[in-house]
Amino acid sequence: MTTMGRRQLRCQELRNVFKSESTHSYDCGGTGMTDEMVTSLEAGRETLYALMLEADREKALAMLLDHADEHGFQSAVSDLLEPVLERAGEAWLLENLSLAQGYVAGKIAEDLLVAAAEKGGDLLLDAKGPVVLGNVEDDYHSLGRKMVAVFLRAAGWKVIDLGNDVAPSQFVDAAVEHGARVIGASAMMLTTAENIRHLRDEIDARKLGGRVRLAVGGAVFKLRPDLMQEVGGDGTASSAIQAPELFERLWAQSIEAEGT
Amino acid sequence: MTGMERVLCALRGEPADRRAFTLALSLYGSRLSGCPTREYYSEPVRYLEGQREVVRLMDPDIVFTPFALPFEALAYGGEGIWLDKFPPNVRKPPFREHDDVKPLGDDLLRSSGVAYLIESTRLLAEEFGPDKPVCAVATAPVDLPAMLLGIETWLEILLFDPERAARLMDLATDHFLRLTGALFSAGAAFVAIPVMFANLRIVTPALLEKTILSALARAFGQARGPLVYHHGGNRIVDHLGLCSGLPGVAGFLFDPRDNLARAREVLGQGRLMLGNVNGPGLARMQPDDAFASVSAILADRAGDRNFVLASAHADIPFDTNPDTLLAVRRAVVDAGAVA
Repeated sequence: MTTMGRRQLRCQELRNVFKSESTHSYDCGGTGMTDEMVTSLEAGRETLYALMLEADREKALAMLLDHADEHGFQSAVSDLLEPVLERAGEAWLLENLSLAQGYVAGKIAEDLLVAAAEKGGDLLLDAKGPVVLGNVEDDYHSLGRKMVAVFLRAAGWKVIDLGNDVAPSQFVDAAVEHGARVIGASAMMLTTAENIRHLRDEIDARKLGGRVRLAVGGAVFKLRPDLMQEVGGDGTASSAIQAPELFERLWAQSIEAEGT
Repeated sequence: MTGMERVLCALRGEPADRRAFTLALSLYGSRLSGCPTREYYSEPVRYLEGQREVVRLMDPDIVFTPFALPFEALAYGGEGIWLDKFPPNVRKPPFREHDDVKPLGDDLLRSSGVAYLIESTRLLAEEFGPDKPVCAVATAPVDLPAMLLGIETWLEILLFDPERAARLMDLATDHFLRLTGALFSAGAAFVAIPVMFANLRIVTPALLEKTILSALARAFGQARGPLVYHHGGNRIVDHLGLCSGLPGVAGFLFDPRDNLARAREVLGQGRLMLGNVNGPGLARMQPDDAFASVSAILADRAGDRNFVLASAHADIPFDTNPDTLLAVRRAVVDAGAVA
């Protein structure tokens, strides 16, 4: 049995436990929801958020799959997962969320996306983008990049993930090949963040500075807020959870720049 | 008074002729001595020469051994990165699979980077030891697996594979005790331990309380000398109460964002506190700003005998203006005696 298969089997057991423990029903409709349904959704978000804080990944997935069974994956994402991720992002800004909890949030989202892809259904995957992601040259700290990729995909973006230690020309080649308007470059330390300057130079040398916007991120950008501008970034986000909002903004800037 | 006497006063809560202070000028010695960083971080004698220049410029009350934690990971393999103006680093974690990580035993101490750390400590202690405490730096046992496997893998194991996490922490504890034991034998007065993974910005409350703190207590309780709990890059006051009882900890070094008055409330009188100058931030400060910033910290702690002014976070950057550093010293001197 595959890891995913084993996980889904455990999830089924957990879903049964969850149903018997839960006082909420997760009935909701995409339209015409009753007050009871709205209350039920709010309670569901509270429960999902609590499970995420407790790092109870399997129970959280079980709950989302349970919801998806009845209402579809799109509802599981838009009515439960996204509001919870938004709340998690706010908590991160206030430093009330740990890296581990953010990581678990990403894993829960990833588990749901894998399940949605395997089962098919109504979830709009790859509806936006594409965008290109990678860790800059000499950077192998992949955690942040992977979390950004998950949160972007959960928000409907098609992500071309180039992995670690990506040369500037590889980033730009991929953006051109796939028609990406945003490149996301990740670097954990100051030494590797400096390499983003070469990516900026590469974008500018190919005269793509208007169309291709450069999102930068990584732990060092939180410690040194000025660094984003110093290395030539067009924007950054304070956490992976906020990445979809940043990419939306940069994408819009790219379209606007081309229109002028 | 000597630096040693001032630091002992801070530990005992006694008056002193002025506030004890130190900055993490490990890297800066290479700038002052004009030694290329690769040579500086390979030859203990070159490191000693650099620290002589640090003492000549700043005369801090505590001197630091090389702040070069990546040497601990490089002992297990992997490739180092050597850059001008920066300490050495690890290109990528030496292991991809957790089961590949094996204890090194005493080979740890024979690896070139770790042997360099120990010999540098010995030379510093020989030269400065009677007058200035020598502070060595070592990786926390709860952080070593992140250096060996990467943060993501270690986080995944901590969260979802407790048995494997316990095995890795046993290995890391053995590493920690061998290394700190060797550093104390070489003459370190204490060892500062930056601790990342015992922090609510990094782990969940349940992990911290059930797994991490017990592992730290086990390791720290067996250390052969006093430890300084370094904030590790994040604020620690909000969970300081959980860490304050860790054995073997002589003092706590705080993040620049930590409120020292609140920290004192949590720790109570008599415990040593160090902080909380933003070390890397000095690179972007004019001397007058550094003077004002440090003076504010000193004014806040004016009545606190158990306080040492120290830089937080990592090393002071290579490009920091020496006049900015001297402004820190001037603020300490101007603040006068500790009554």
